Amino acid sequence: MNKIIIPSLIIQKQLFQCHREERRRFSRLSLRAPWGRSNPLRKRLDCRVATLLAMTINCKRLPRPFRTRNDIVKIYIAFILVLFLVPALCGQELTGEDIVQKVNDLFNVESGYAKAKMTIMTTSGQKRTFVYESWSKNKGEKNLVRYLEPGRVKGQATLMLNNADDIWMYFPRTQRVRKLASHAKKQKMQGSDFSYEDMGSGDAFINDFSPKRLKDEKMEGYDCYKLELTRKPDTDVSYSRLIMWVIKESFVPVVIDYYDEDDPALQEKRLVESDIRVIDNIPTAMKVVMHNKNDNTQTELELLEVRYNITLADSMFTERGLKK
Amino acid sequence: MKKWLSVLVFLSLGLSAHAAQDSIELFGYFESQAMGADIKNEFLLLYSNKLRVDLKSSLSEKVTFAANFDYITFHGKTEWNILDFLPSDLIAEAPAGVESFFVLPFSDRHFLDNAYIKLSFKYFDLTVGKQQISLGTGYVWNPTDVFNIKELFDPAYEQPGHNALRLDVPLGSMYTLTTLFSPEDTWKNSAKLIQIKGRISHFDYSLTGIEKVWRFHDYTQFDFVNMNFLELPGKRKLLGASTAGELLGLGVWAEYAYNWMENSEDFYELVVGTDYTFNFQTYMMVEYYRNTLGKTDYEQYNLNDWMRMIALEQKAISRDQIYVFIQHPVADLLSVGISTIYSISDNSFALVPTLNYSLSDNVEVFAYLNINFGKEGKVFAKNMGNGGVIRARVYF
Repeated sequence: MNKIIIPSLIIQKQLFQCHREERRRFSRLSLRAPWGRSNPLRKRLDCRVATLLAMTINCKRLPRPFRTRNDIVKIYIAFILVLFLVPALCGQELTGEDIVQKVNDLFNVESGYAKAKMTIMTTSGQKRTFVYESWSKNKGEKNLVRYLEPGRVKGQATLMLNNADDIWMYFPRTQRVRKLASHAKKQKMQGSDFSYEDMGSGDAFINDFSPKRLKDEKMEGYDCYKLELTRKPDTDVSYSRLIMWVIKESFVPVVIDYYDEDDPALQEKRLVESDIRVIDNIPTAMKVVMHNKNDNTQTELELLEVRYNITLADSMFTERGLKK
Repeated sequence: MKKWLSVLVFLSLGLSAHAAQDSIELFGYFESQAMGADIKNEFLLLYSNKLRVDLKSSLSEKVTFAANFDYITFHGKTEWNILDFLPSDLIAEAPAGVESFFVLPFSDRHFLDNAYIKLSFKYFDLTVGKQQISLGTGYVWNPTDVFNIKELFDPAYEQPGHNALRLDVPLGSMYTLTTLFSPEDTWKNSAKLIQIKGRISHFDYSLTGIEKVWRFHDYTQFDFVNMNFLELPGKRKLLGASTAGELLGLGVWAEYAYNWMENSEDFYELVVGTDYTFNFQTYMMVEYYRNTLGKTDYEQYNLNDWMRMIALEQKAISRDQIYVFIQHPVADLLSVGISTIYSISDNSFALVPTLNYSLSDNVEVFAYLNINFGKEGKVFAKNMGNGGVIRARVYF
């Protein structure tokens, strides 16, 4: 935010560094402006000048001495620039990069624990439910997921280190740990509509996409920043671009649209986050729904329990911890 | 059998009641399977039902007890004569009068597959009892695993437990030292293992040393004292290494083991594999396997080679093989795949289409066909029996 606001404050400072006496002189000089009071442009400008003056008074900043007509013209031009630029600059106070960084920071909390229920709803209306626990440490650099239900996958666990660059899976039935390459992130989580990369594991939004801020929009009842994240060249992600609506107040991405890897116009999936609660001072979407537009299927992720900033031993995030 | 069933029911009920009171987890699965094979123009069927009951209890923060009990029944064609599968010219090598010993019986059985206590301390884990031992990074073949041989058509199936005392000592967060002792009748005959496992960059590495008695049989000679084929035990010393990681976006792994044999020729095994998931969700894997114990010409295969492979005493009889597997989720609950195992040495191969369907949360159906394309005498010969397996498994 500071990056954008600071220049406008500098302009105001340069224009209005004066005391009350000089302000009175300014008002006298303004009466001798080259255009009459009846000039409609003058009326509009005066109106804006008044607004600006009000701003300066609030800021305890006063105009500099004005000696010549040129000075006045310069000031008017400066006013005009400021009057048109300020609102525009205020609207773009954050860049796309800033917003994505904040979303990323929100996802990657220092440490956390969650117990979640994932329900897959198929095209034929069948449901599959999974319950798992997950732990994360070092702002998402280390992650451990362990399935509790159903019995079919009970005990299966996934360990992700180095922001999901290193992945291991543990299969309790064979007591085998298998190292997976990062391409495994493209696989569906237990056949759901989520792939591991959809979960924004690690710094994927930052590393794999270039953000561009679009016009703000209201989405799901929230005032949102709208972003377009375009796949960076030489990255191996399954989507050509993402459109993301980020709640201004909390930086929770309330909706994310995922577009086909080959056809940037073809939307594949939509993710909607809801039931946003503040837990340990961190806004958290307790319910996330991923809708697959191609297959007309849906997967719902419901957080049953969440805790942040907890103490987790490093030994949890090792092969030994994976097998426990 | 009734007695065992009663014991099982009693055990299950007793444990269920106990589980409700304490932190005992009781779970497992029931599996019903039909296997068919076309042998000499007749389609033979073998059915099996398997109940596996797992028990796990954390007696304290540091002590875990786990066990499982398997009860399997067989129906249909429960006796298979191995000689029916073998090339006709090799049958003559079988010792006369003991043809009945070439018949593989599938009789009902029940056994304690795993039962162990695990003690977890700050500086080590000690596991004592019957436990699964999984070694190596290969998917189908594991040169460093002298305890198990995987089924070629179903390599992900669980392996049996082995009596062992295992000590795992973490050395920092990146390395683990493992020692394992699997007792036999004498210390000399017991298996010993030492392994150091670690991580460098995005690769896992392990170095393994094993000493174990390998119990081959000579299927051309019969031991009338023990009423079995002549056993030829020989000490096997293995030094192996394995790695797994990522290279140019591909998953890669390799496993190598050199074997010094007491009574036979030394040999080595090598596995190199790679896998990848495409953006359209298709998964592909390729694994190459070399075993210098295998032959380069199929005309060199003898009765012992075949029998040792069928009895899972050795991993392969052809020197070089390649496994290719492709799988795609065609619907949210259904995955189809196809694998092929190609014996480079004798130019024969088998195609194995697979299907995996999630019928409900805890019910899955798995099926595969195996179709061999090779002339008689080769590893994947048509007369080995084209057929398949369908399996339904219910978890509880």
